[in-house]
Amino acid sequence: MRLVLAALLALTAAPALAGVPEVVERHILPAFSRFADATETLAETAQADCTAPAVRPAYQTAFDAWMGLSHLQFGPLEQDGRALSIAFWPDKRGMVARTVNRLIAEQDPVVDTPDGFAEVSVAGRGLFALDRVLYDPELSGYGPGDYTCQLVSALSVDLARVARDMRTDWHGFAQTLLTAGADGNTTYLAPREAAQGVYTALVTGLEFTKDQRLGRPLGTFDRPRPAMAEAWRSGRSLKNVELSLIALHELAGALADGPIPQTDAAFDAALETAAELDDPVFAGVGDPTGRLRVEILQQKVRFIQDAVAGEIGTALGLSAGFNSQDGD
Amino acid sequence: MRRRNFLSILLASATLPRFGWADAGGPTYLAAAREPDGGYALFGLSATGEDIFRIPLPDRGHAAAAHPTAPEAVAFARRPGTFALVIDCVSGDVAHRLHAPEGRHFYGHGAFIEGGAVLATSENVIDTAEGRIGLWARDDGYARIGDVASGGIGPHDILRLPGDVLAVANGGIRTHPDRGREKLNLDTMRPNLSYLTVASGIDEVVELDPDLHHASIRHLAAKDGVVAFAMQWQGDLTDPAPLLGLHRRGAGPTLCAAPLAEQLAMKGYAGSVAMCDGQVGITSPRGGYIHLFNDDGTFAESLKRADVCGLAAASPGMTATDGFGGILSVSRSTLTPYRSANRAWDNHLIRVAG
Repeated sequence: MRLVLAALLALTAAPALAGVPEVVERHILPAFSRFADATETLAETAQADCTAPAVRPAYQTAFDAWMGLSHLQFGPLEQDGRALSIAFWPDKRGMVARTVNRLIAEQDPVVDTPDGFAEVSVAGRGLFALDRVLYDPELSGYGPGDYTCQLVSALSVDLARVARDMRTDWHGFAQTLLTAGADGNTTYLAPREAAQGVYTALVTGLEFTKDQRLGRPLGTFDRPRPAMAEAWRSGRSLKNVELSLIALHELAGALADGPIPQTDAAFDAALETAAELDDPVFAGVGDPTGRLRVEILQQKVRFIQDAVAGEIGTALGLSAGFNSQDGD
Repeated sequence: MRRRNFLSILLASATLPRFGWADAGGPTYLAAAREPDGGYALFGLSATGEDIFRIPLPDRGHAAAAHPTAPEAVAFARRPGTFALVIDCVSGDVAHRLHAPEGRHFYGHGAFIEGGAVLATSENVIDTAEGRIGLWARDDGYARIGDVASGGIGPHDILRLPGDVLAVANGGIRTHPDRGREKLNLDTMRPNLSYLTVASGIDEVVELDPDLHHASIRHLAAKDGVVAFAMQWQGDLTDPAPLLGLHRRGAGPTLCAAPLAEQLAMKGYAGSVAMCDGQVGITSPRGGYIHLFNDDGTFAESLKRADVCGLAAASPGMTATDGFGGILSVSRSTLTPYRSANRAWDNHLIRVAG
């Protein structure tokens, strides 16, 4: 792959691509590789012992790896509803619970084959189905012979399959991205579209962390929603914010053509605030002091957005979508 | 307004157009764009997306209305704009400036009726939020000649149907220019699709079920007696609703939803709608997808294209434009680029008649 990339770089190093080749080599491909490895370990672990205590550590590692690429919602990750099949969140209507509960109640034999399980609703697959089955005390006490144990195994194998497919697909899609504007490239019609696509992923990722990962549990002052925090059952809400910021910082650094001191400082400040928060699942959003601390973290993410727009977007002549940001 | 007055105005002003669209190079489409230097222009485009003409615009617009026969385009300011420009597409000059009456603003769309003699514009009565359709006599220098009720709050797209019936997408959202585009009535909004004539007023109003009252009906297309209406979901984006409906006069609406993952990918937003032989398409610039449905309302296809928004009927298929400058052919289940222009296409692609 490295050789292929080097050849592509030689062919395609044009200013309009900005840091896209670096993004692919240093950020995207390693992230998809780590996720494929982590989910493979998860699948192997679950197939050896599918009880909750045995699977939890591998689940946590797989979720960590997901945070390294959850923002890369273009190309392979957005095909065939894959992103949702890995992480169905936010889930306002409780569809994960409904689907998981139905599978268990009906002892649905769909868990018997990987092909069959791939047909299950996206809400009943992926990390958030595991979050519930492995950590909800109502469900997690299952034994090795129970249906739920088979379900955990099927969920893990399904995740590993999707992750493996994406890693494979990215090797082809990297070419599509790096040859943006070349004859026959019907996905990216001009070189700047590749940089724009990557930049959009950065901007959208920051927005998601601010509005969803932090904004959902914050709710409103009168109605805080701690139970809306991401993956709170498995204790990951704050960690997901931190890991997403680390991944987005890596992406920003690779995409930029030169030094980005303001962006670096803004990421560092937000991560420092997160490290000092001491509220792993944002349980404190209900009391004024705890709430203020989460709001300050949210504000720090807003500062990152400003720095990224000013330092990277402006320098590359990029902005969030002309139409997607307008709306009428 | 009273039928007799309306007719007398028309008779007084009826003249034959001096030029036709052929004199402007015979464009198939009109589309506004932002150019690399930050300026804006209105383009006439061929069926395959080649530039036919380029006319600078003073600012970003929303939609344009194409006169049915004369080479004239009305470019509307973005809402809550108070002016619209009538552009002579042969000379490139601004032929007329329309100013919304005191206390009104435009919503960005318009349609010609009476064979092109009258322009109808969607408007807001700022103090009361009542939706009105303003009427302008083209052959009298686009003089204001009156208005009629739109049938709801926040009229957006207007479409002329056979018999000069106007279909109006009353988006239901109350706004006030002092507060920009802030939505002031989300809890109580009740969008509708209204049918009206200038002479007789509202003839039919189509509302969706109360649990879909957050689905703002915004853009319209019509073919063979069916009106397609595209919606923008003001509810929770993780609790998605259909973004497309089909309606035949006198019947109930058919709602068109995609499977869950595809529905979520649209981010609750449809920016344009178009119909062609057996298919209906909507675009979501926020999700970066085009969704195609069969004419019975069933989901057909999801096509990926970042920042895609403009969509219009082609023959066959449809043509789409996006914020990266792409002009693409939408054909059944495939998306094929015609070209990539170095400019950002704005919200709408307008088909020129004839």
